[in-house]
Amino acid sequence: MTSGDARLFDLGYRAYDGPRERPAYAVVSLAVFTVRRVLGLGRGARHKVLPAITLAIAYLPALGSVAFAVIVNDVAAGDLIGYGDYMFIIGSALALFAALIAPEALCPDRRSGMLGLYLSGPLDRTRYLVAKGSAVLAVMLLITLGPLLFMLLAFELAGFGPGAAELPKLLLQILATGVATALLYAALAMAVSSLTTRRAAAAVGVILLIFVPANVVRAAIESTGAPDELDLLSSPFVAAELAYRIFGETPDDVEPVTRLSTWLVAGGVAAAVAAGALVCWLRYRRLEAFR
Amino acid sequence: MISARGVVKRYGRTTALAGIDVEIGPGVTGLLGSNGAGKTTFISLVLGLRSRDAGELTVLGQDPASAGIAVRARIGYAPEHHDLPAELTATELVRHLAEQHLLPRRAAVQRTNDALWLVGLGEERFRAVSTMSTGQRQRVKLAAAIVHDPMLVLLDEPTDGLDPMQRVEMLSLIRRIGTEFGMQILISSHHLEEVERICDSVVIVEGGEVVHAGTLAGLRSGPEGLVIEVDERMGELVSLLAGRGLEVTAHEGRILVGAGSPDAYDAVRDAVAELGVGLRRLEPRGRTLEDVYLGEEP
Repeated sequence: MTSGDARLFDLGYRAYDGPRERPAYAVVSLAVFTVRRVLGLGRGARHKVLPAITLAIAYLPALGSVAFAVIVNDVAAGDLIGYGDYMFIIGSALALFAALIAPEALCPDRRSGMLGLYLSGPLDRTRYLVAKGSAVLAVMLLITLGPLLFMLLAFELAGFGPGAAELPKLLLQILATGVATALLYAALAMAVSSLTTRRAAAAVGVILLIFVPANVVRAAIESTGAPDELDLLSSPFVAAELAYRIFGETPDDVEPVTRLSTWLVAGGVAAAVAAGALVCWLRYRRLEAFR
Repeated sequence: MISARGVVKRYGRTTALAGIDVEIGPGVTGLLGSNGAGKTTFISLVLGLRSRDAGELTVLGQDPASAGIAVRARIGYAPEHHDLPAELTATELVRHLAEQHLLPRRAAVQRTNDALWLVGLGEERFRAVSTMSTGQRQRVKLAAAIVHDPMLVLLDEPTDGLDPMQRVEMLSLIRRIGTEFGMQILISSHHLEEVERICDSVVIVEGGEVVHAGTLAGLRSGPEGLVIEVDERMGELVSLLAGRGLEVTAHEGRILVGAGSPDAYDAVRDAVAELGVGLRRLEPRGRTLEDVYLGEEP
């Protein structure tokens, strides 16, 4: 090296005196990291298969509905799939998605000991749960909000939309439905996932928690004449029923549950979300984070 | 750096820490004790991952149970277990933990690179952790513990699972980090020779209590004089040395020569030669860490 001004720097590892971010940065960083993990981004193809299948199940009816409207062209607005109906149709995909992502978000950290590494730094238990909950909620919104927004946009562009006057109201209805449904399934799935370190066990537990009470209470109501309020214990019921109420739709082939007020249904959703969050928080408050 | 006063930790009816009193200062400090002595429990209290049942504990001037984020961001920790997220590369894992310790993204990327090169994984930094050997995983954990330039680094059994060569390399690396980069290091181990090799100070824990604490030089210091071991005729050698004016006692197969004899080495040499016995040991009468640990006097 003979050039007059040229210098070769090999600084290597050294002390750091630069800026440090605020604690919220760690929360956002962990949430983004978790979203990428549960969707299989940056991982091998096999980690992407299940999220891709579930997303396809959720979005295919919307794509089909829009394609049908565009191809037929003169279809009446009332013949198109309703937004409330849509949430009912993808109910199984919602449960599957919740059973897939929440265990993936929570269980490996405890099983691998990463939880101790996180909690020995700036994250405390509450911030950790906020990060994980935000990640699960964000991914759930992909499936509860995404298809409805896609349908709204596509129908609007194809000329089947509600018109400029109705658009803000419909947008708000979609947002309310999507967020409430995502919160419900995310809270239930996280509560179950907080109880075990095994992803498979958590996934089975989420499926059981969602579908067993639904079938049991429906059977009880139909066979023994138990009060309709028991339906509030059924997650798929309260999610679908709330969607119908918000959009002002009536299910085509299901007897409407008129004896339950909309506020009671909304209360059922809120109670389930609160219960799920409480179980998760209590579990992590006492959890042994050190191996 | 770490100050503990009467720290007690119980698990049900089992008392893991029965009133720890210790001051841990700058430099590399070894936390020595057998398995189950309470080392890991003490580290978990220092990290604030468990709550103590009694006593006072401060780390970097704050109670770890309620420590502010500014303090927690300046502590690095490498756990004993090797279970790291298998699908991540070393770079992804270390960078993620750097961000968790509040390093901005660009700094996290840069320092991840630097830390992995420092621990000897520069060429391997894009390999998945799952494909790495135990030694490499230990290095990944060390890089993750120092990437954010912590003031205090806690290393729990950092040589666990390493072969002798890897162990030497890891200990040299830890010593270098402690001396060149100004980090205070607390290393938990049950290997006496590891602590003796790289630490400035040592805290010996047994049965949940601190049995010895201080600088290594201070703990080693003992009565002056010589220790002698011979193959045979020990009684005759004692008599011979005493006859030459040395203060001599026999103790558990060893001959202890008192201080104040400037020509003691010469006298021992001559006496051994005169008796024609084999000399197995002749050294100053200081204590080894093993003596301290086992509570033996030389």
